[in-house]
Amino acid sequence: MASIDASTSGAGGIITTADNTGTLNLQSGGTTIATINSTGLSMASGKVLAPTGPAFSAYRASDQTITAATFTKVQLNTETFDTANAFDNSTNYRFTPQVAGYYQINGTLTAGASSNLGRAILTFFKNGSIYSRGIDFPFSASSSYVYASYSDLIYFNGSTDYVELYVYLNGTGTLTVVAPSAGEYTRMSGFLARAA
Amino acid sequence: MTLYEKIKSIYPQLEDKDFMTVIILQNDSDGRGDYIAKWEHPTLAKPTQEQLA
Repeated sequence: MASIDASTSGAGGIITTADNTGTLNLQSGGTTIATINSTGLSMASGKVLAPTGPAFSAYRASDQTITAATFTKVQLNTETFDTANAFDNSTNYRFTPQVAGYYQINGTLTAGASSNLGRAILTFFKNGSIYSRGIDFPFSASSSYVYASYSDLIYFNGSTDYVELYVYLNGTGTLTVVAPSAGEYTRMSGFLARAA
Repeated sequence: MTLYEKIKSIYPQLEDKDFMTVIILQNDSDGRGDYIAKWEHPTLAKPTQEQLA
């Protein structure tokens, strides 16, 4: 098999070996990392082709009161990580990736009511408007929490497109996005799944 | 009284589902408060500012 080896000894350099098999090994120090042939690119055992696109995870770090029957943006004010500095956790609470492509976006919600929580919907807003809604939980339990999660694959143009987490709650008493400082309650995360 | 409560007082016949479909109330958590983002109810007119005041 042909190979291109990035040498790790001696004077270093690139060592190339040619043949006519139609297969090319990409090596480092004589060890094959990946192989290219007519079917595509495959990684050697134990080696990974790690994506390096933007990824983020942010959460709400304190309770947020929500008006009944009103889609309200969750102020995700704490970041767990934000590899491309694309999430705004202080002003607009939105993810605006600067790499175009299709992003997996995930949301989790913990909601409660001081009296009766009747409905909870987790929603992704893209560029200020409803893009998609998660599972609708219509129920009539009192003094209870609801835990919801939702995911979607969303295209971003890599410049101006952004996504925000909104919730719709209905019920009686004070309605709250519950977030007692820990990140396990209400969070949004995402990563580049496929470039444009 | 919230915007939702004002609208419900003007149109008591509105149902819960209306506020998830043909009527969208929104709050962008930017200090400007609740507002009507969409009003596409087939028979009821969008309330005026005077009615909501």
